[in-house]
Amino acid sequence: MSQSLTVDLPSVTRAGHRPKRHGSMDRSRQRFGWFFVAPFVIVFLTFLVAPLIYAFWMSLHLKTLAFGERFVGFDNYLQAFRDPQFLQGVGFVVKFSLVLIPLQMLVSLTVALVLDALTDRLAKFARLMIFVPYAVPVVIGAMMWGFLYSPRFGPMSEIFGVFGLDAPLMLSPGNVFASLLNVVTWQWAGYYMIIIYAALRGIDTSIYEAARMDGANSWQVALRIKVPMISSALVLILVFALIGTLQFFTEPQILRSVAAGSIDAAFTPNIYAYTLAFSYSQFNYASAISFALGVVVFAGSYAFLFLTRKKSGLS
Amino acid sequence: MALNVSEVTPDLDGPAARRKPAGSRGPGARRPIGAHVFLILLILYFALPLWWLVVGSTKDISGLFTGTGGPLWFDNEFHLVDNIRQLFTQNGGLYWRWLGNSFLYAFSGGIGATVFSILAGYGFAKYRFRGRNLLFSAVLGSVMVPMTALVIPTFVLLAQMGLTNTIWAVILPSLLSPFGVYLMRVYTQDAVPDELLDAARVDGAGDLRTFFSVALPLLRPAIVTVLLLSTVATWNNYFLPLAVLSDTKLLPVTVGLGAWQAQSQSGAAGTQLWNLVVTGALISIIPLIISFLALQKYWQGGLSLGSLK
Amino acid sequence: MRSIRRSRGHRRGWVAAGISAAMVVTALTACSGGGGTDGTEGTDGTEGGGTEGGGSGGCTNQIKVPDAEQVTVWAWYPAFEEVVDLFNSTHDEVQVCWSNAGQGNDEYTKFSTAIEANSGAPDVIMLETEVLPSFIIRDALVDLTAFGAADVAGSYSPGVWEDHSNGGGVYAIPVDGGPMGMLYRQDIFDEAGIAVPTTWDEFAVAAQQLRDSGSSAMLTDFPTNGRAYIQALFDQAGSTPYVFDGDNPTEVSIELNDDGTKEVLAYWFDLIDKGLVGTDDAFTTDYNTKLVDGSYAVYLAAAWGPGYLSGLAGADETAVWRAAPLPQWDATNPVQVNWGGSAFGVTSQAKNPEAAALVAKEIFGTEDAWKIGIEQGALFPLWLPILESDYFRDLEYPFFDGQKINQDVFMEASAGYEGFTFSPFQNFAYDKVTEQLFSAVQGEKSPEQAADDLQQQVVDYATSQGFTVN
Repeated sequence: MSQSLTVDLPSVTRAGHRPKRHGSMDRSRQRFGWFFVAPFVIVFLTFLVAPLIYAFWMSLHLKTLAFGERFVGFDNYLQAFRDPQFLQGVGFVVKFSLVLIPLQMLVSLTVALVLDALTDRLAKFARLMIFVPYAVPVVIGAMMWGFLYSPRFGPMSEIFGVFGLDAPLMLSPGNVFASLLNVVTWQWAGYYMIIIYAALRGIDTSIYEAARMDGANSWQVALRIKVPMISSALVLILVFALIGTLQFFTEPQILRSVAAGSIDAAFTPNIYAYTLAFSYSQFNYASAISFALGVVVFAGSYAFLFLTRKKSGLS
Repeated sequence: MALNVSEVTPDLDGPAARRKPAGSRGPGARRPIGAHVFLILLILYFALPLWWLVVGSTKDISGLFTGTGGPLWFDNEFHLVDNIRQLFTQNGGLYWRWLGNSFLYAFSGGIGATVFSILAGYGFAKYRFRGRNLLFSAVLGSVMVPMTALVIPTFVLLAQMGLTNTIWAVILPSLLSPFGVYLMRVYTQDAVPDELLDAARVDGAGDLRTFFSVALPLLRPAIVTVLLLSTVATWNNYFLPLAVLSDTKLLPVTVGLGAWQAQSQSGAAGTQLWNLVVTGALISIIPLIISFLALQKYWQGGLSLGSLK
Repeated sequence: MRSIRRSRGHRRGWVAAGISAAMVVTALTACSGGGGTDGTEGTDGTEGGGTEGGGSGGCTNQIKVPDAEQVTVWAWYPAFEEVVDLFNSTHDEVQVCWSNAGQGNDEYTKFSTAIEANSGAPDVIMLETEVLPSFIIRDALVDLTAFGAADVAGSYSPGVWEDHSNGGGVYAIPVDGGPMGMLYRQDIFDEAGIAVPTTWDEFAVAAQQLRDSGSSAMLTDFPTNGRAYIQALFDQAGSTPYVFDGDNPTEVSIELNDDGTKEVLAYWFDLIDKGLVGTDDAFTTDYNTKLVDGSYAVYLAAAWGPGYLSGLAGADETAVWRAAPLPQWDATNPVQVNWGGSAFGVTSQAKNPEAAALVAKEIFGTEDAWKIGIEQGALFPLWLPILESDYFRDLEYPFFDGQKINQDVFMEASAGYEGFTFSPFQNFAYDKVTEQLFSAVQGEKSPEQAADDLQQQVVDYATSQGFTVN
């Protein structure tokens, strides 16, 4: 019996699943679908599309004291992509994503695999504890970490003291990157973990039995069977994680009040847009920055999907 | 061949024999000590801030700053009851008003979003109407829009509708859940077989009847999941209410606590409320944690599928 | 059977993927989006503030005369509800409907949104003096000259009145101020044998003495994010960074790297380099505690400082605080400066500007109102009748063991204050000051370079915003 553990994952054809009866399906019946999507579409148009159009319109204008509001075409966008503050912010979120996402995935994947392998009470409790941070609103979580990072009131000196080290200043410019990584990981790792875990639970165990009979140990089962089987789930999670992280906003914004030097007004593009709008009253340029960020997000996610097209099962 | 579709929400912890863990079968299975240590460390890490919150809630203001027990342990005095009592008196019990607001927004927003998502998901999944794919792509693409772009325009819109300073201004925009729609569509596509719908149609049921009596019962796990997600998302609202709500009585608890924190930090003439911020934060996360615990089975199960037998 | 199972397993993977993806995006955009929520759950929470100034029942206080005209007010003064109640019980024709729409920038964010949307602003709003120009140029405030501002002009010192005027118009009625003085720990000074400094030279010497005495305290802190505090220090050395006149709103003069600024920076960075003063950010819990627990011996403060200190937790029980005048560059030529202070402006969205102006003029225009403001709100009044009263002069402050700090320090500081002009883009300017100073503290550039870079940045910005920079 061969030791290799290739499991074929045939692409699913839906041919057998849905009988081809398009011809006999009544067109007007199909239009009934609009009835079902209508309520959602109304809200979608009202609260997303309409504001979006207005925001775009704003980004094409500029209101200055000297000249009032005037149409400037894409000048704001040209300025945005040459604006060192915007570019620095983009650089940060890209760097942050490149570090955070693999790190988080690794942690969550490892934990999910471990939990999939154990079923004792400890595992159950762990599963819960790791997920609980998700139930904490991001804002409150950031506030808590603000306290915890405080050199005076946080336990950092105690914790580092256990290892005989001095607690570093968690929110200094040098450390703020890692500190933010920690906050985000704490908040979201459990969430990813549960999703991966549930995907793992959806795998038919008979495959494991087959593999075991072929002589595989648990590591090999984990790496060669489980992970590939949930690869499409992983890729999709990653893409959405990328989209979310490029729009990083809440945690650094909350922590600005305790790290004014390290987290400045343009720390991430979203913070920059917020500052422009609400601190500097530059609403037009703020809109342009937001859309420019949208372009970056779009490009980033498509690039990522392209690079992983084989794995995601989307092509 | 008759397909008996039973909606099975697999009990993830149950003793069902099929779900034997992959690693601990057969002779020579070792007690997973390494894995256990790993898990314990993880538990400590994730529990740390929450533990701090619990401990902090039992301290008064000076205890928080220069308490005897340090940040991670209790002081000599126990002030939890005092703190809770102060939450009732501060600003006339405003905190509980905030908590109530959060519940109101989260549930109405959550339920509303779920209803719309169910309907839309079903429509996308089971009907082929013109423009369907384009519309769905637009829905999915909307996630890439940074929200900072939409604050002002939405405010303008709501002002024109005359809905500002009402609960509707918070609830209406929360009815939008593109991911709820996506989730419901994918789930519906797989959990509700066309054959069943056709059978019902052949029996003479109209589209709506079919939807309610055939499709809906099959969608329960996804429905609970979407409900939970939408509710959580609305509960977590912060920046938009902050930007536009001026009536303190309408604030959700996240914004309210943020206001107290800002006030305490600026030390405005001695109105320090740190103990309330900490205790308030603790109390505010309890409802969500409880609902997660209570609905564990549903959302964990909702992530798997009904099985086709 | 086997093949069906496998395909089922794969399909499950797909659906699980879809479900997971949906969950992830839902949650993740909560982590990122400006709404702090599921990013595309629409832009929610965009709720109006106070609607068309009518506040549809959103008053925090009780209305005493239901039929009277209601004027909505946003303010965050401590103990303000009592002041409002006082007003409402003494005015039958106008009632104040007050709500606390947030503090500082939180309130300004809401106000800014409301102006932009042309709806949702209150009738009367509390604004710090430094942001007045920024709102004046957006036509957000009504010129009160037409509404009897001149009636109350005599109740305020000329310097202060000038601060709230612009281009011939009066845009806000002053409320409280922040004349600066020096609050210091007598016990720490005594222990180290330090005399109270009256000039900056003496101050530097005292810093060294404190260090030499082996005390664990530093003399004081130099916060790069001090904003108005830093600006006041520059002002004291003769810096006049901005010239802006409402008559010519498109012109502005900017000189942020003048001699006064550089002199002050050189002074403080010298102390920083010697390790004699701290560089902690201000307004954080850490900083607050350090102010009161003996980490710093001096707090260069505005007149609202004592109230601030007395409320902070973690205080050193044995502390002995005293107030003294701010150190001077030239003892023979003292310069008084101001940090903070606020006023009431009437917004352009006020339904009844006349009623609103009445509220702005009179709400803090009585002795009784001010007694509340002083004793419970620890405010420093700009209203001359109480500012120059014996009551105020002789007021003993328990925090200072009964010292009459107004008499000793703040009244003179207030009387000598000549006013200051802020820019119409003050938030931007402050952010840049913070960034440049922080950069200098990190050693990335010299303080002179920081000032020069700051100048360049702000000039470029002003030009890009359509100002003619002189």
